Amino acid sequence: MATRRHGTEVREITVKVNGIVYQETVEPRRLLVDLLRDDLGLTGTHVGCEHGVCGACTVLLDGVSVRACLMLAVQANGAEVTTVEGLARDGKLHPLQEAFWEHHALQCGFCTPGMLLTAYELLQGNRTPGEDAIREAIAGNLCRCTGYQNIVRAVEKAGRA
Amino acid sequence: MKPAAFQYFDPQSVTDAVARLREHGGAAKVLAGGQSLLPLMNLRLVRPAVVVDINRIASLAYIRESHGTLTLGALTRLSAVEGSDVVRRHVPLLAEAAAHVGHLAIRHRGTIGGNLAHADPASEIPAALLALEGHVVATGPRGERTIAAADLFKGPLTTALDPAELLTEVRVPIDPPGSGSAFLEVSRREGDYALVGVAVLLQKDGGRCARARLGLCGVGGTALRMREAETILESAGVTDDALPAVALAVERAVAPSDDVQASADYRRHVAGVLTVRAVRKAWQRAQEGGR
Amino acid sequence: MADTTVRRWVGKSIKRLEDPKLLSGEARYIDDVHESGMLHAAVLRSPYAHARIRRIDTSRAKALAGVVAVVTGKEAAELAGPVPAFCAEPVVQHAIAVDKVRFAGEAVAAVAAVDRYIAEDAVDLIEVEWEPLAVVSAVASALRPGAPLVHETLGTNLVFARTLTFGNVKSDFARADRIVRRQLRWPRVAAVPLETAGAVAKYERTSRRMTVWANTNMYHYSAMPLAGTLKVDPNRFSIVPVHVGGSFGSKHLLSKVITIAGILSKATGRPVKFLEDRIDNLVACDSHASDRIYDAELAVTTDGRFLSLRIDVVDDYGAYFQFGQTSHGNYLAQVTGPYTIGSVEITLKAVLTNKCQQMVYRGAGSEVNNWVLEVLVDTAARELGMSPIEMRRKNFIRPEQFPYKIPTGNYYDSGNYAGVLDQAIQMADLDRWRKEQARLRAEGRYIGIGLATCQQRSVYSSTEFWFWYEKPGFPVTATPEGVSVRIGQSGQFSVSLSSPFWGNSPETVVAQVLAEEFGIDPATVSVVYEESSRALPAAGPGGSRLTVMLAGAVCGAARKLKEKIFRIAAHLLEASPQDLTLADGRVSVKGVPQRALTLADIAATAHFFKMSLPAELETGLDASHTYDHPFTTPPSADRSDLGAFYPIMAHAAHVPVVEVDVDTGLVKFLDYVAVHDCGTMMNPAALEGQIVGGIAQGIGTALYEELVYDDQGQLRTASFLDYLLPTAAEVPSIRMGHQETPSPYTPYGLKGSGEGGRMVAPAAIASAVQDALAPLGIEVSELPITPDRIVRWVRAARARPR
Repeated sequence: MATRRHGTEVREITVKVNGIVYQETVEPRRLLVDLLRDDLGLTGTHVGCEHGVCGACTVLLDGVSVRACLMLAVQANGAEVTTVEGLARDGKLHPLQEAFWEHHALQCGFCTPGMLLTAYELLQGNRTPGEDAIREAIAGNLCRCTGYQNIVRAVEKAGRA
Repeated sequence: MKPAAFQYFDPQSVTDAVARLREHGGAAKVLAGGQSLLPLMNLRLVRPAVVVDINRIASLAYIRESHGTLTLGALTRLSAVEGSDVVRRHVPLLAEAAAHVGHLAIRHRGTIGGNLAHADPASEIPAALLALEGHVVATGPRGERTIAAADLFKGPLTTALDPAELLTEVRVPIDPPGSGSAFLEVSRREGDYALVGVAVLLQKDGGRCARARLGLCGVGGTALRMREAETILESAGVTDDALPAVALAVERAVAPSDDVQASADYRRHVAGVLTVRAVRKAWQRAQEGGR
Repeated sequence: MADTTVRRWVGKSIKRLEDPKLLSGEARYIDDVHESGMLHAAVLRSPYAHARIRRIDTSRAKALAGVVAVVTGKEAAELAGPVPAFCAEPVVQHAIAVDKVRFAGEAVAAVAAVDRYIAEDAVDLIEVEWEPLAVVSAVASALRPGAPLVHETLGTNLVFARTLTFGNVKSDFARADRIVRRQLRWPRVAAVPLETAGAVAKYERTSRRMTVWANTNMYHYSAMPLAGTLKVDPNRFSIVPVHVGGSFGSKHLLSKVITIAGILSKATGRPVKFLEDRIDNLVACDSHASDRIYDAELAVTTDGRFLSLRIDVVDDYGAYFQFGQTSHGNYLAQVTGPYTIGSVEITLKAVLTNKCQQMVYRGAGSEVNNWVLEVLVDTAARELGMSPIEMRRKNFIRPEQFPYKIPTGNYYDSGNYAGVLDQAIQMADLDRWRKEQARLRAEGRYIGIGLATCQQRSVYSSTEFWFWYEKPGFPVTATPEGVSVRIGQSGQFSVSLSSPFWGNSPETVVAQVLAEEFGIDPATVSVVYEESSRALPAAGPGGSRLTVMLAGAVCGAARKLKEKIFRIAAHLLEASPQDLTLADGRVSVKGVPQRALTLADIAATAHFFKMSLPAELETGLDASHTYDHPFTTPPSADRSDLGAFYPIMAHAAHVPVVEVDVDTGLVKFLDYVAVHDCGTMMNPAALEGQIVGGIAQGIGTALYEELVYDDQGQLRTASFLDYLLPTAAEVPSIRMGHQETPSPYTPYGLKGSGEGGRMVAPAAIASAVQDALAPLGIEVSELPITPDRIVRWVRAARARPR
């Protein structure tokens, strides 16, 4: 049932994020990344460009990586989303996060959530990617701090762990 | 950078989608993968009054092969095209072109129909469709019609589709025996739009090149067929003598522009260079038994 | 300060304290700051590079539901003055342009609304009547007589010009056997961190108090001027640091962003967040980097000795001059490189145009001079028929010559340049690559081996902000870094830092130093960041200073704490302080280890048991220390000697190997060796991370990035589709080597190296590409080396008659 807010119609959506079901009312134009960050308070997903290039907003939607800045929140109705907050369990870091920590794969941390989810997807499909495969997989996640080398190492080690 | 407001519809069937498009005409934009449309909307470079989101039309996502034709529903994600055993086996050029579109996260949402309908002159899929001599099916208020690739792309971001038509299916012939194909592109970085992209499909018959089809992107207002170059290959074969002429024919046929990434001169020169490399690669694959 | 070179924690690659919250998404960046009632801002950007604002109608914008305030430049000027600038010239910038705009993208109005979507809708409803003016689009046209003026009050677009001469340049050039001359073009790029700049300003009207959260730095220098701009009493104004998603120098002064947020907060009486979007950031960040044209000469003898250096440089500063010519002070610290060059002259012209203004970007202007100097050296080698390696060796400053004073007056504290070069050559296996190069050339393939041997100054002194001026407006000489250390009631260490986290490792550094000084586990240290009203004086990260400065500050605080700890322990153990020793978190009597107290025991006493303390000691166990520059001296009045201002001198040699596809212009890395001497290393893993990250940025500058303006002053590379940051596919794996020549002036002999990679990589990569194209006689005189340029150069070379 569409009702109005500040002059525009709104939609009700149901979305499961990190295992928890949320019901929200959103304008159709509201971006998925803004739903996650502002409406659900999950600020781990970051906004870097809003035109789909930098990858900082990468989340998993129904198990595959997507740019949350290039999806409307209404498009996630009925879907399952995983953000970086869904990686750790009860405060214990996921092995991929541990590997990033161990191998100094982050500096400012802004690209890190998107990088983690992209790496997570890669390792789901291939536990032993080589350097070239890792670099290709993360080529859609810009990092301005690390120069990528330690990220590659961390992903490789995490896969073999 | 947030989109301007719009009226939003998410129809559950092609009929409903077409009805919405008919109702709103030029004021409506179709939202498929959104990987090209949403950046433009976020930047407010486009502000459609109406958005028709077709992602709920489950019947539009399929890959089928029958009677020598590969058919793909318009909503088939590019990652599915890239990864499909059926596509790789029967029309590897399409899978190879799809793999060059952006990055995996883009391909998980981007669709083959959306990519063709968007008709970015630098986009890989139109170039491949031209080389494959494929067709699209457009469904509108008056029913379905088939549009050949050669007739589909009219100008930058412009196709032969009417405002009330939805691109619903893509059809390509499967590779005949003796085929070899290759897709090569030059881009500034991994995953960027092509500065120049070349799609080549060759058919080998004994030592001859029985059939050559070349589709290029990034070198004009639309993707372009290189008919003169094709003729040279079909008559002279893939030989060291013929290839310089092929490059020259390509340079003559393209109509690139200057932009901030590369000059027209660069694109013209690289179009010739890349075509030769792609032809060699396709020919080698044809000799190896077609991949 | 520990006086032993056998160290337990300094020099260890411990895991960073910063990481867990960054990994989990808990870290709070500026866009994660939410205040009750907070509004969101958007700005209307000028479509013109140069135009008068005839009329602005904001009525339709104001009427939009959800809009709380719309402010034009004139209205803003009642709430705030011009933004602070560190220059002496009367170049006035308003956060929101008042009468005219001076660059495309300059803010002309700002909206505060209940969310960013509506704020942008409101921006669309603002109507402006413009009077376009002729655009000053480049330096050449800016300097033409009768050129339109970016600032009428200046009367010229030449905002600053001066020649500085050090030593006998004229006579050195006269006696030279050969003058090597090159004209070079360094492109405009920008730091472009992944996180844009932003601020939340909260003005409380009745108490006239303003709190600003912002991802900025340097608030010890800028908080008071910003308070002045926003017409708030300085002691009622505070800047709260947040986690910063990268800066690389671009977020030092966020005057405009903070002022816009502050203006809107004053206008609405509510907290307001202004966050740049990516377009704002590329187009109007007020932090583009050096944009220079060089005409440079190196005077040499026939046997390859360098005598003198003459540099003529023109820098396009864009529309404003907020940091003066600091980026030209910067390289004077190391203008002659690692070489014994006896004299140097710099002629600088700083020019204003209708573009976004400059700030400093990793290297702060020294990365440019490094490239220019290395090009001159390689050109000299070519012209004299000498090996570039032998030429460098011949002119290197030798280890026994340190501390070495260069003609500008700065010192180099220590180094071993020949040693670093030797290691780089050996690691790169240069002979093997040369053979490979010859073999591949015969096959028609073009590989190149580059070399750059460059200085990386660290720990700047604030004198570089102003010493180009004959009469500086504000000759600041403090470059502090203050830290407070508390040992809590249970003996646990807490540290308050006075400057923000940028992606560097301040928490880890202070933890390692405390671990070294007290023998504790660094992972137990807790670190917080103070807001400016409570912080000690601190200049913050930048200029590769922070590791050294934090070490000095923590060591200073540690000294004070140890003094009190020993006096308490002596009192409790009935010994004299000289008989005590501190190790592994315990204070014991020397030779009698069982007579000991843990730090926890001592802390409990200090906090709770006043009557057990020596009478003159106060309750508590904390100490602060503000460490200032360890070795800086003032410039002479005539500026013939600039004093010591950046003497902690790191050094590196990079050897990249590239393959150039001459038919497509694509460049691929086959290898990359980098050997760095950063003095004593605090945390080698963290250091290597900085080096690789800096090299990646250097790759961007050398091959991919350029802020391209057209002749109407429009930025044509205004999104990530066109401004190309290197991805993981463009940056190779770097093979790193290290040497350590400790500094005699710093704690533990540390040197800074946060900027290292980017200071050397562009020069090294340009050298490699030129080496690859050497058979075609191509010289690289401009960056970035794009595929388009390579193909153009190659085709021109092939068309030339032999």
